[in-house]
Amino acid sequence: MKILLILAWRNLWRNRKRTLITVSSVLFAVLLATLFVSMEKGSYERLIDSMVRYSTGYIQIQDVLFDEEPSIDHTLLFDEEIEAILKKNDEQIAFHVPRLQNFVLVATENNTRGSILNGIDPELEIRMNDLNEDLVKGEFLKPDDNGLMLAEGLAGILNVTVGDTLVLLGQGFHGSTAAGTYPVKGIVDLKIPEINNNTIYMSLSEAQWFYGTGNRVTSLIIMPENPARTQQLAENLRMMIDPEWHRVLTWEELLEDLLNLMKFDVAGTMIMMMILYIIIAFGLFGTILTMLIERRKEFALLFSLGMKRAQVAIVCFFEALFISMAGVVLGIIISIPVVAWFYHHPIPLSGDMAEAIADYGFEPVLPFSADPNIFLNQALIVLIISFLIGLFPVYKVFRIHIMEAKK
Amino acid sequence: MKTVIKTTNLQKIYNNSVAPVKAVNDISLEFKEGEFTAIVGPSGSGKTTFLNLIGGLDKPTGGEIFIDGTEISTMKESELFDFRLRNIGFVFQSYNLIPVLTAKENVSFIMLLQKRPKAEMEKRATEMLEQVGLSDKLNSRPNQLSGGQQQRVAVARALASKPKFVLADEPTANLDTESAFNLLDIMEKLNKEENITLIFSTHDQRVIERAGRVITLVDGRVSEDEVGSSRFEV
Ligand SMILES: Nc1ncnc2c1ncn2[C@@H]1O[C@H](COP(=O)(O)OP(=O)(O)O)[C@@H](O)[C@H]1O
Ligand SMILES: [Mg+2]
Repeated sequence: MKILLILAWRNLWRNRKRTLITVSSVLFAVLLATLFVSMEKGSYERLIDSMVRYSTGYIQIQDVLFDEEPSIDHTLLFDEEIEAILKKNDEQIAFHVPRLQNFVLVATENNTRGSILNGIDPELEIRMNDLNEDLVKGEFLKPDDNGLMLAEGLAGILNVTVGDTLVLLGQGFHGSTAAGTYPVKGIVDLKIPEINNNTIYMSLSEAQWFYGTGNRVTSLIIMPENPARTQQLAENLRMMIDPEWHRVLTWEELLEDLLNLMKFDVAGTMIMMMILYIIIAFGLFGTILTMLIERRKEFALLFSLGMKRAQVAIVCFFEALFISMAGVVLGIIISIPVVAWFYHHPIPLSGDMAEAIADYGFEPVLPFSADPNIFLNQALIVLIISFLIGLFPVYKVFRIHIMEAKK
Repeated sequence: MKTVIKTTNLQKIYNNSVAPVKAVNDISLEFKEGEFTAIVGPSGSGKTTFLNLIGGLDKPTGGEIFIDGTEISTMKESELFDFRLRNIGFVFQSYNLIPVLTAKENVSFIMLLQKRPKAEMEKRATEMLEQVGLSDKLNSRPNQLSGGQQQRVAVARALASKPKFVLADEPTANLDTESAFNLLDIMEKLNKEENITLIFSTHDQRVIERAGRVITLVDGRVSEDEVGSSRFEV
């Protein structure tokens, strides 16, 4: 066996230049592929991360009807039963964030506008998404606060500022009327225009009183200790809740539409990747084919001496594998710092694209993902390709006719 | 003396040309242990074809080949591979050595495939390279050796594993006169010392007289078979 490895290894260095060219073509393909995937994944990660952090959380418990028909009447009673379930999964839950969200009309002396009223627990909300960092004026809400916090865009539209008073009008629990006047205590910049132009925050207790819901919430967000084990935690919760009344949704279910959109996008990248893989495959195949043709006489010699076809085939297979392994390993070694660099220094964008992205509250850059799976997957795919190509010389070696090769 | 190789009515007909070519035509011969035989004849007389047949590299279209009493022409390919490895040493006209291995590794190669103990292999390879006068070239690669030196390494390899017999197809054809005689000297010496049957083909009159037995082929047939002629005349 050792002699087979020695032969394969030394054969690689017979045509140093060709070997190096083939290795570097594999290397560049791996590098390009990882960069591509890292860039695409980076954008998705950023989007998902911000959606999960600001809006959906990892897991939500809702009333069974809320997802299909979001309404104040389809709220979840946050009672001892739910508390007990949370308690039982205490070890896996970092914290939970209750929210009561509903449509509301907001009015000043000369302006009226429809908005979303968010009843939040200020401390838990901050823990989830650092909302306090978005405060641009006034003070952040306190628990049981009886004031309001306004998104900056909405404050501009209504032409109000800290200290002004607003009238809120809405439909409360089971058809009751919800009405009240509230002072503006603080203003937050929520960046994404659609959200920034129609969001109002109120303390959860005040919102529950305003809508007359008692101890009800529209969603109870669960933040897991380990986000990687979201599915498992969701399963545990699903087994404990009363499915007739409650429903457990993960961020993947909550963001289903967005994720579907991304999958569609991934198809485009897949085509690019396929082209890359085909280039690698052909490069490798070409090298191996020439090696086979050049060495017909040598194969005839080896067979004459009594070396088994299987042994010669193993030598050829090793050669193909060595080349691609070298390419893959070097490709990964080089792409790790490159991806890491882009991860820490995302490519800055300019022009319309930059503006569009900035509108959504993101930095105007192309982010990269440093997910180790990217490297592993690319390495695996290229290795599988070269493994398959390595089978070609094996097939060929078993078909060489000694007397013909000897000529 | 023991018979190592025996052919009966051996025949190889090539059908792929305009008319069928009887490259080997009804050859019945015996080779005894320790013989040093030259197969001579003009180009196209069937020397290579005959050696390939008794070396188990090619299949006859008629007749039989017995090696130590075993009929080899009916063997399966995989059996033949193993048979060659265990019993036959080869020296070809050119392209004898594995380019990526050193002289010593080339000489050890057959023993390595036979899975001989490492120490024995080392000792034998060094000894054989000494015998062919290349003890200073143990670690040279084939491309660092002259044509004559390469053929000597090939002879050392063929004999190192102590096969039943060695077949050398025109081993001197690409060599100058001096190297050719030198190689013949070595082959003759090793044939005697190791008592290994050695059959070589040539169309070179200069080297024929070194052989103990000279078989002349014409158009695939044996036209002459002289034993011990010239050597005893000197
Ligand atoms: N593969 C082959 N196909 C057809 N004819 C062949 C083949 N090999 C050899 N021959 C023919 O067989 C005859 C003997 O060839 P060969 O054994 O090579 O002779 P030598 O080695 O004495 O020069 C020649 O006429 C040659 O043309
Ligand atoms: Mg010939």
